[in-house]
Amino acid sequence: MEEVLVAENVRRSYGDTVALTDVSLTLGEGEVVALVGPNGAGKTTLVRALTGTTDAEGRVELFGTAPRDVDRDRIGLLPQAFSPHDRLTARELLEYYAGLYDESRDVERVLADVGLSEDAGTWYENLSGGQQRRTCVGATLVNDPDLLILDEPTTGIDPAGRHDLWELLEGLADSGVTILVTTHDMEEAHRLADRVGLLADGELVAMDAPDALIETYGGESRLTVTGDVDESVAAKLQYPTAFTGEGMTVSGVAPEDIGAVVRELEDAGVNYDGLSWAEPDLEAVYMELTGNRVGRGDRGADPELAAAAGGER
Amino acid sequence: MSAIRRVGAEFTGARKAFLRRRTAVFFTFFFPLIIVVIFGALVQTRPGGGGLFTEPPRYYVAGYLAVVVLFTPLSRVGSEVARHREGNRFEKLATTPLTRLEWLAAQTLVNVAVIGLAGLLLLALVVVLTGADVVLTVASIGALVAFVTVGVALFCGVGALLGSFADSQDGVIAASNSIALPLLFLSETFVPPALLPAWLPTWLSPLTYFSRGVRAVTTSGQAGDAVVPLAVLTVVALVTFVAGAVALPRTD
Repeated sequence: MEEVLVAENVRRSYGDTVALTDVSLTLGEGEVVALVGPNGAGKTTLVRALTGTTDAEGRVELFGTAPRDVDRDRIGLLPQAFSPHDRLTARELLEYYAGLYDESRDVERVLADVGLSEDAGTWYENLSGGQQRRTCVGATLVNDPDLLILDEPTTGIDPAGRHDLWELLEGLADSGVTILVTTHDMEEAHRLADRVGLLADGELVAMDAPDALIETYGGESRLTVTGDVDESVAAKLQYPTAFTGEGMTVSGVAPEDIGAVVRELEDAGVNYDGLSWAEPDLEAVYMELTGNRVGRGDRGADPELAAAAGGER
Repeated sequence: MSAIRRVGAEFTGARKAFLRRRTAVFFTFFFPLIIVVIFGALVQTRPGGGGLFTEPPRYYVAGYLAVVVLFTPLSRVGSEVARHREGNRFEKLATTPLTRLEWLAAQTLVNVAVIGLAGLLLLALVVVLTGADVVLTVASIGALVAFVTVGVALFCGVGALLGSFADSQDGVIAASNSIALPLLFLSETFVPPALLPAWLPTWLSPLTYFSRGVRAVTTSGQAGDAVVPLAVLTVVALVTFVAGAVALPRTD
């Protein structure tokens, strides 16, 4: 598989604040990689380093060349918090971006792909938040790129729109487009990505297939009991328990054992309001690996860092 | 053809974005109108008297034109750079084939079109309201077009510099006013050199060459009288335009 994107030991500091520490990753042709992490973990800084829009140390290559020398017809970038001309219509915006390339896709087809055919004549400022984001995603597709880099593409999009966009990205990946996406949505990362990278404090702390991450870091299944649960009941259960303000979590309960545990709770006189059972998932991985870390890498999310970097362009 | 296509796309986008800001469009044309009405019709010139506005009305045509050539590009391009930066648009554009020179060229063309129209309106008003006997020949009209185009390019470059170094749209407006007002009155536009201190180096201001050139062609009708000022203005415009393009944000 051809390596589309290679990053080795990428570092970026703003003054004394380290935003990225020796991040290395590769993306093969047609691969979808999701980057997740807390606000300020360094996701946006990494996207900027990979696209050459920040001055980072280390080696970055897109299609075998430095980001600033790459054939720009081959990449499509959706920056975080991107805000195009607000008094152009969705169609005009896509025509504008299409006009920046020698060859571009048919704008009407791109509008249809992102579900904006009916509202294509509406000024950007009058579109809903989700429609605005879909317009921005459309702007990254007009040049039919081989590598898509999307910084939080589904922020502000309603569930139906999000699913439509996922289907669109899955179709692009199936056709061989390589996709790097940052997100806070674990369902999105799990569904879309071949591999998920977890960034925390500017470090890539884990990178693997979603299921492999869950197996390694996700822990056990959890039975959550909500209501007024006395802590003394823990001694009567043969499972590890943890208590929260809303009730109790029982770990390691297999699906076939749920009934037995519930009977034990009832025998112990527990008056519960609700029961829910969950398998380990990416969110559990995220919490395990990032915990309560306070991010520091994304300038937009960290006032101190933003101030430290304020003098740079 | 590629560069022309890209500049064309940027020009079209920027033109539509500007024309749909009705307040901006209104004041772009209202500003020169009110200047001519105040100074040309209300204050009026008093040839032969003392103080300001003692030259014949024709003398001030260069000053009125300088108002639009100076203020509009500075504030428009400066604000546009700030808007682009705040919306992460340059981050997106850095990954497209559009170069910074092409971006600034497109913005300059929009300004040339807008200011060209405003300049025509202004010229007509000056003639009608002040009775200025402007000499308009094919040569002088051609020279006026050249001066407006080069002047706009020059101040678009300065506007790009301001927008790149100021940290907000408010900062751009404050900085452009601070630069434009002294330049306007110390560049042989409304205040004749004889009324300024002898030590004041008005020759350092590029707007001085705009004033001298426009005054020469609207007085004599001979384009040849404006060759030197136009040459100086062109050199300065090239420098500021390239500097402005290079300064445009590319990274965070």
